[in-house]
Amino acid sequence: MKKRGLAVICLLLAAALLAGGCGGGSAPPAETKKEIVIGGIIDLTGPTGDVGSPFHDGAQAYFKYLNGKGGLDGHPVRLEAIDYAYEIKRAQEAYNKLVKSTGVPAILGWGTGDTDALKGFVAKDEIPYLSGSYSEYLTDIEACPYNFVLAASYSDQARIALKWAKDNWPEARAPKLSFVYNNTPFGTSHLEDAKSFAQELGFELVGDEVLDLRTLDATTQMLNLKNNGADFAIIQGTSNLAATVLKDARKLEVPTQFIGLNWAFDEKIVQLAGVAANGYIGVVPFAFPGEDVAGMADIKAYLESKGKGFGDVNQKFVQGWMSAMVMLEGVRLSGGDFTGPGIRKGLESLSGFDPAGLGAPVTFTSESHRGSVHARLAQVQDGGMVYLTDWISYK
Amino acid sequence: MRNPLVMDCGVFTSNYREDMAILHHPGAKLKVLVVLVFFLALPFMVNAYYVSVVNLIGIAIIGAVGLNILVGFTGQISIGHGAFMGVGAYAAGMMTATLGWSFWIALPAGGLAAALVGGLFGIPSLRLKGLYLAIATLAAQVIIEFGIIHWPALTRGPAGMVLPAPTVGGLVLNDDTTFYYLILAITVGAVVFALNLFRTRTGRAFMAVRDRDLAASVMGINLFKYKVAAFAVSSFYAGIAGALWGHYLGVISPEYFTIKVSILFLAMIIIGGLGSVMGAIYGACFMTLLPIFLRETADYFGGGLGGLTHIMLAMQEAVFGLLIILFLIFEPEGLAKMWRKVKDYFKLWPYSY
Repeated sequence: MKKRGLAVICLLLAAALLAGGCGGGSAPPAETKKEIVIGGIIDLTGPTGDVGSPFHDGAQAYFKYLNGKGGLDGHPVRLEAIDYAYEIKRAQEAYNKLVKSTGVPAILGWGTGDTDALKGFVAKDEIPYLSGSYSEYLTDIEACPYNFVLAASYSDQARIALKWAKDNWPEARAPKLSFVYNNTPFGTSHLEDAKSFAQELGFELVGDEVLDLRTLDATTQMLNLKNNGADFAIIQGTSNLAATVLKDARKLEVPTQFIGLNWAFDEKIVQLAGVAANGYIGVVPFAFPGEDVAGMADIKAYLESKGKGFGDVNQKFVQGWMSAMVMLEGVRLSGGDFTGPGIRKGLESLSGFDPAGLGAPVTFTSESHRGSVHARLAQVQDGGMVYLTDWISYK
Repeated sequence: MRNPLVMDCGVFTSNYREDMAILHHPGAKLKVLVVLVFFLALPFMVNAYYVSVVNLIGIAIIGAVGLNILVGFTGQISIGHGAFMGVGAYAAGMMTATLGWSFWIALPAGGLAAALVGGLFGIPSLRLKGLYLAIATLAAQVIIEFGIIHWPALTRGPAGMVLPAPTVGGLVLNDDTTFYYLILAITVGAVVFALNLFRTRTGRAFMAVRDRDLAASVMGINLFKYKVAAFAVSSFYAGIAGALWGHYLGVISPEYFTIKVSILFLAMIIIGGLGSVMGAIYGACFMTLLPIFLRETADYFGGGLGGLTHIMLAMQEAVFGLLIILFLIFEPEGLAKMWRKVKDYFKLWPYSY
């Protein structure tokens, strides 16, 4: 038995060594200026790994792209990323490693729960934190003075959708509205704001439908929706959840118009839901790969240098790319003060920063870290995405 | 003075007090002292990152020891431990953040609140055993999570709650080092309490219930009382761990106390060794350090998160799973048993028979 245990260990070691042998990269060219290292807390292997992985690839790609162009004002840049598998405890450990051991001055984060968990540390250690979560709570500058929210918050996204729905409502009666969400802080963060805005606009609220993020059956909820006669339903979840909803809604012939927020609407929805996705509307804060905007040229150039094309990446890649772009722009504007407070100042001097069409222009000030209140609405039509609006806000 | 390099061949006691001592050997006392001094000096020897890792381990130890009292010593399974941690964290959080009470009152009160709720969910344990009880405690997990999210008037819902740092006199415990000593003190207290618990009437009753509850009941042990008590004590530990973690982070939200946390704690005590206080400690260390160790290994061989990232990371999860399976197959009694075997080997060496 002892021998067998030894054999297992040897096998593992051998496998690790073998993998290590293949992984050796070429040494970076000698640089005269100091390297700038930004931290990354990302999910590659956890439950949101499906969207976390392309997001991380996009962010890494931008760092590499910038290095290829001579770095940030001559400074080579690097994204030191740690996979935390969507576990708050591991996020805390990763954060401590990045800040207290590696000594990064700023971090690109990921989920709602972990970003929220770290907001106290981030404020105390003065580490600017740009995350993949657009939770409304993170825009509270008193509680989160070092958190930056890149795109329209979930609440604002819901408001944009509601405003558009009301403006395009043809009938005289009040439209009926339902919310479909998953029972997590991420899934419920927009609810309160969206409901009070809906009442302001004159929607009639009918019951909410709660679904698990990984559910494969939404029949009960869709029957409820049908009975309630909801004209619109706002989906907050990931594209997996949205696909389940759309498929079951089609099966049961639910007449509701579904509108998904950022994470519930991307290319995957068409693959997963097929024809059931037709007519589905999404709030889109970032561009899709291959869109006709100036910023795509850089992404295209980068992808081609790697022997790839737009077909190899998705919208979350663009999102990661733009997050890295904004973070590094903040570093550039720090004027050489590459510390947490310096980068925070840099980010706060971003005024109407134009990501060349990859997202809405971003503005951070010392009073507000709400990067944007704009998003576009797109609809799935015949398996493709068609924009219904330009960048709009609810105001 | 005895020679510290010579192995003991036995312990001679001449009164009951000596007989009942937790640390029999003079060498053991010295060992514990050395370990304590080491941990007291640790923050001065390593950087803040390592201190923060030890902090996480300390909190995990408190939770794991608590769960082991219920699962390992009383034989009742619970997959609601994460939720009971949440009850402690939220109860203490409400007291410090909303009511402005002192942390030193809120911490034990948080533990008591968790004990109350845990005891409540332990009531079905009289009728339910094994898988049935597991599902009943799963219900606790779901109900408590739902309650935290959908009762914003009390818990501030998904927004989470910002908690103030504890203070001692004028000293604010808001960094890793100061919190380290707080966690260390509570962890030592929790472990010593648990070690002693199983030398008392209550602890013996717990073990009797575990070994055969019918026989225990025939012997006059009040099953209901002790089963619920085990839940309450275990949940008290969970509540303390939750309240500590919440105040260490400075913020709590419903996403912290999910079923994943419950399962992680179960894995800790199974790998560490069921029914062993030391086992819970080893398990907590192991399960907290393993992901870090695997990540560092992956980074070392994969060259950071470049090229082979995805394969290495996927492998990391696989190795994690593999290790757990290997443990269950080759050493179901966990790390505690392995450590005991190592000690026995050296104790008898070179005459192994």
